[in-house]
Amino acid sequence: MATVTAPAPKAAPGVLTRPAARKLLALAVAAAILVPFAVTQWGGATWPSALTVDVSEPLGRASDWIIDNRDSHPLFLYFFGHVSNVVVLAVRAVYLALLAVGWAGVTAIGALVAWRVAGVRLALGTAVAFLACGLLGMWVPTMQTLALMVVAVLASVVVGALLGLAAGLSDRMDRVLRPVLDTMQVLPAFAYLLPVVLVFGIGVPAAVLATVVYAAPPMARLTALGLRGADKEVLEAVESLGTTARQRLLTARIPLARKELLLGLNQTIMMALSMAVIASVIGAGGLGDRVYQALASVDVGAALAAGIPIVLLAVVLDRVTGAAGEERPGESRRSPLTWLYALAAAAAVAVAGRLAGVLEWPDGWELNIAEPVNRAVDWMTAHLYSGVPVVGGTADWAAHFTDWVLNPLRDGLQWLPWWSVLLIVAALAWLIGTWRTALTAVLAMAAIGVLGVWNPSLDTLSQVLAAVAVTLVIGFATGVAAARSDRVERALRPVLDVFQTMPQFVYLIPVVALFGVGRAPAVAAAVVYALPAVVRITAQGLRQVDPAAMESARSLGATSGQQLRQVQLPLARPALLLAVNQGVVLVLAVVIIGGLVGGGALGYQVVFGLAQGDLATGLVAGAAIVCLGLMLDRVTQPTVRRPRKGA
Amino acid sequence: MTATNVNGTATERPPVFSVDGLWKVFGPKAGRVPADPELTALTPAELRSRTGCTAAVRDVSFDVRKGEVFVVMGLSGSGKSTLVRCLTRLIEPTAGSIAIDGEDVRAMDKSRLRELRRHRAAMVFQHFGLLPHRTVLDNVAYGLEVQGVGRAERRERAAAVVAKVGLEGLEHRRPGQLSGGQRQRVGLARALAVDPEVLLFDEPFSALDPLIRRDMQEEVVRLHREEGRTMVFITHDLQEALKLGDRIALMRDGRVVQLGTPEEIVGSPADDYVRAFVRDVPREQVLTVRTAMRPAADADEAGTGPAVRPEATVSEAIEAVARAGSAARVMDGGRCLGVVDAGDLLGVVAGTAVPEERPEGAAVLPGEAELPKEAV
Ligand SMILES: Nc1ncnc2c1ncn2[C@@H]1O[C@H](COP(=O)(O)OP(=O)(O)OP(=O)(O)O)[C@@H](O)[C@H]1O
Ligand SMILES: [Mg+2]
Repeated sequence: MATVTAPAPKAAPGVLTRPAARKLLALAVAAAILVPFAVTQWGGATWPSALTVDVSEPLGRASDWIIDNRDSHPLFLYFFGHVSNVVVLAVRAVYLALLAVGWAGVTAIGALVAWRVAGVRLALGTAVAFLACGLLGMWVPTMQTLALMVVAVLASVVVGALLGLAAGLSDRMDRVLRPVLDTMQVLPAFAYLLPVVLVFGIGVPAAVLATVVYAAPPMARLTALGLRGADKEVLEAVESLGTTARQRLLTARIPLARKELLLGLNQTIMMALSMAVIASVIGAGGLGDRVYQALASVDVGAALAAGIPIVLLAVVLDRVTGAAGEERPGESRRSPLTWLYALAAAAAVAVAGRLAGVLEWPDGWELNIAEPVNRAVDWMTAHLYSGVPVVGGTADWAAHFTDWVLNPLRDGLQWLPWWSVLLIVAALAWLIGTWRTALTAVLAMAAIGVLGVWNPSLDTLSQVLAAVAVTLVIGFATGVAAARSDRVERALRPVLDVFQTMPQFVYLIPVVALFGVGRAPAVAAAVVYALPAVVRITAQGLRQVDPAAMESARSLGATSGQQLRQVQLPLARPALLLAVNQGVVLVLAVVIIGGLVGGGALGYQVVFGLAQGDLATGLVAGAAIVCLGLMLDRVTQPTVRRPRKGA
Repeated sequence: MTATNVNGTATERPPVFSVDGLWKVFGPKAGRVPADPELTALTPAELRSRTGCTAAVRDVSFDVRKGEVFVVMGLSGSGKSTLVRCLTRLIEPTAGSIAIDGEDVRAMDKSRLRELRRHRAAMVFQHFGLLPHRTVLDNVAYGLEVQGVGRAERRERAAAVVAKVGLEGLEHRRPGQLSGGQRQRVGLARALAVDPEVLLFDEPFSALDPLIRRDMQEEVVRLHREEGRTMVFITHDLQEALKLGDRIALMRDGRVVQLGTPEEIVGSPADDYVRAFVRDVPREQVLTVRTAMRPAADADEAGTGPAVRPEATVSEAIEAVARAGSAARVMDGGRCLGVVDAGDLLGVVAGTAVPEERPEGAAVLPGEAELPKEAV
C-alpha cells in the first residue's frame, strides 16, 4: 500500500527519522559527557539540595515589608493606593448602578442590547438567563460578579487595545510583545493571583487587576493581528489618495480589523469571566465566592445554585459578543434610531420597576435548588459511590484511578533521577520543535528544581500526564468519529459550543458531586475541560485534509480504515500536534485549580499560601506553575504557532 | 491614438511627468548599487548573488506628455508596478529624478507629497483596493473625504462620478456585493472623483474576464476621448497596450528596452526581445498606410483610385483597395503623399515589408511559432 501514502510524502517516517536521529545522537553525546559528571557530583533521584536556592526567605521578607509599608511608602500611597481606590470606586459605582436599575431594568437592558446586536432569539435567551439567576436566589452575587466584570473588561479592552495598537503599528513593539503575550496565554490562571495579592492584598482591587492581567492579552494579540493582517493593497490604495497616518488608522486599518477586534472583545470577556470567578480565592466576591465557599464545605447543592448562573452568563456573553462579530447581511445596518428606541424602552422598564418598588428580586420567587440537589447527591453518595454490582462505584473508580494510575505515575516520576527527567524533556521538545523550544523547556524544568519544589511539581506533572493521556484517547477517538460522520459532528457541535465557553471553575462542581475530593476528581475536571478543544481541533484537522489526496487514495482502492491511517492522520499531523499542545495547556490550568478540591501539589500550595497569608510559599508555587506551564507548552510546541482557542 | 487628432501631435505638448535616470533597488544597502558602475553592469541574477539586492527599476527615463495615454508594458516581474509607484513615491526611489509639471517630486516634504497624491495623481489598482466596510458611494467619496471636503458636497460629487462610470443604482451596495468589473468601476470612479491631473493605472483589468476587460478598456478610451486626461497605464497585455497607448514603453528586467508609438514598436522592433513580443500582433491593424505607401509611379496613379488618410491602418486600406479593385491614394488634405496597391499591403501583412533587415538569429522565430501553444 506504499502507493497510497505517496501523496503524503512529508508524513511521519521519511523526513522525520533523519533529523530526529541526528538530534537524538547530539543529545546522547551531550548526555554522555554531562550525566556522569552530574551523577558523581549530585547523585540521587530527587533534585539535589545543593542546587536549590532558598527564595522563600527573601520572598517572605519582601512580603512582610510590603505589608508593613502598604500604608506609608510613597510608591503605595501615590501609585498603587490610587489604582486600588479607583478600582474599588469603579466596581462599587457599577454595582450600585446595577442595583439601582433593579432586576427588571437589568434584564430589559440586557435583552434589548442582545436583540440589537444578535437578534430576537438571543434576546430571549438573555432575558431567561437573567431571570434564572434571580430564580436561583443569586441576583445579588450575579450583580457583584457583573460589576467586577464590567470594570475588568473595560480596563482589559483599553489596555489590550493600546498594546495591540502599539504592536500592530510598530515592528519593534511587536517583536517585544509577541513572545510575552504568547507565553501569558499558556499560563494557568492561578499563577497570576499571588503577585497581585502581594502588592494589593486580598480584596476587590487584587481580583480586578488579576482579571485584567489575564484577560488583556487576547485583546492585544487580536488587535495586533487585525492591524497587521489588513489587505496590503487596500492600505496602499488608501495611501495613494494622500491620507495622513491618522486618517489611515481611523478610516482603514481599524475598520478593516473589525472582525479581529470583536473576536478579541469576545475572548477578553470570556477570559475575564473565567478569572473573575477564580479570583474569588483572592476576594472577588460574587458568584465565584459562593461556589468557592460551597466547595470548601462540599455543599454541592449550593455550589450548583451559584454555578448555573455562571454558565448562563458565560453562554449569553459568548453568543451575544460572538454574534456582534458576524456580518449579518440584510438587517446589519439599521439606523442608530432603533438603538435609541431600544434604550428608551429599557429605561422605561427600569423606571417602571423602580416606581413599582421591585428593585430587589422578590423573596417569594426564589427557587431553592440546593436542598433537592444535596438530597440527590446524598442518595448518590449512598448508592453510587461504591458497591454497585459489577461496575463498582464512582468513588471506587476514583480510588482505583488514584491507586493504579496516579500513584504509580507520580512515584515513577519521582523515582526517576532528576537529570533523566531533564533529558527526557530535552529530547521530546527537540524532536517536536526546535532547539530553542528544547532549551526553554529544559531551563524551565531546571528552574523548578532550583526553586526547591521538584517533588510537588512532579506530583502535579503526574496528574497532568494522566489527564492528558485520557483526554487524548477520548478526544482523538471522538474527533475521528466527528470527522467521519456528519451526524456525529452535528450532534456534538452544540455540546462543544457550551462546554468551550464555560469557565474552568465550574467544572469542579460536578466532579466533586460524582467523585468526592482528591486527585482523581481534579484530573476528571481537567479532562472534561480540555476535551472540547481537542475534539474540535482533531475533527477540523482531519476534515481539512486535502480532498485530492483522499480521492487518489480512494481511487487506489484503499479501505476507509486505510484512508484514515495512511492519508488522513499523517496529513493532519500538524492539527493533531496542535490538539496535544492545547490539551496540555488546558489540562494544566484545571489540574492546578484542582488544588481547591484536594488535588494537592502546586495548586494546593497556592491556596494554602493565600489562606494562611504565607505568600512566600504561594509565590514559589506560582513560579513553579509558570515554569511547568512553559515547559509543557514548549515540549509540545510544533514549529508553527497556533491560533488560540475560544476562552 | 485617439488624442493626437484633438490636440495636435503629442510631441509638442509639455511633459506632466518627467522621469530621468530612475532606479529602484530592493535589498540591503540598496543605495550603493546605482552609484557603482561595476554593479550596474551586472545582470539581475549576478546582482542578486553578489549583493542580495533586486534592481526592480534600472536607469529608466521618459516623459509623459499632457493628454497622452502612456503605456508601460512588460512581463511579470519586469518592474512596472514598482515604476508606477515610484512616480508618487508610494515606493521610495533609490536614485534618479522625477518631476511633475517641473516640480521635483523627490524633494517634496510630507505635506507637499500628500498634496500631490490628493489632487494631482490618482491611482487605480489591479485588485481594486476598495474599503470593504464602506458603500460604493462612500468608497468613491473617500478621496474627497481625505481632502476634508464636506459630507454633502463630496456625496454629490461622488454621485456624479458614479453615474459617469455607469454604476447608477448600486451606490449603496458594499464592494463585497459587486462583480469584479463593477468593483473596478468603483476603483476608477474613486480615482476620477478627486479630479486628478494624471490617472495612474496598475494592471487595472488583469483580474477581469476578457469580455468585461474589453468593456472597461472601451470605458477608458471613452473617458480619455471626452476628458483628454493624462494617463499612465501599466499592463502586461500587448493587445491592451496597442489599443490604449499613444506611446508605449516596453520594459524588461527593470529597463525600458523600447519607447515609441504602437506603430514604431510593431513596425520596427528595437531588438529580438521586442520582436518576439510583437510577433503575433495582427500588423495590418497597427501599421498605417504611411509606412506601406510608395511614391506614385505616374500622374495617372496619383490621380485615380480611392483616397485613404495617411494615419489609416493597413487593414482599412485593404478594404478600400479590395472594394475599388485598384491601388489607393494616400491623401493628406488635398495632397497625394503616395499610393498603396494590393502588393504593398500584402507585404505588410506578410511581414516582408519590414524596414530593417531581420538579423540572423531571428531566423529561428518562425520555427518556434509552429510549436503548439501549450508547449511554449
Ligand atoms: N518589496 C520588495 N522587496 C523586494 N523585491 C521586490 C519588492 N517589490 C518588488 N520586488 C521585485 O522587483 C521586481 C519587479 O517587481 P514588480 O512588482 O514591479 O513587477 P511587475 O512588472 O509589476 O510584475 P507583475 O506583472 O507580476 O505585477 C520583481 O523581481 C520583484 O520580485
Ligand atoms: Mg505589478
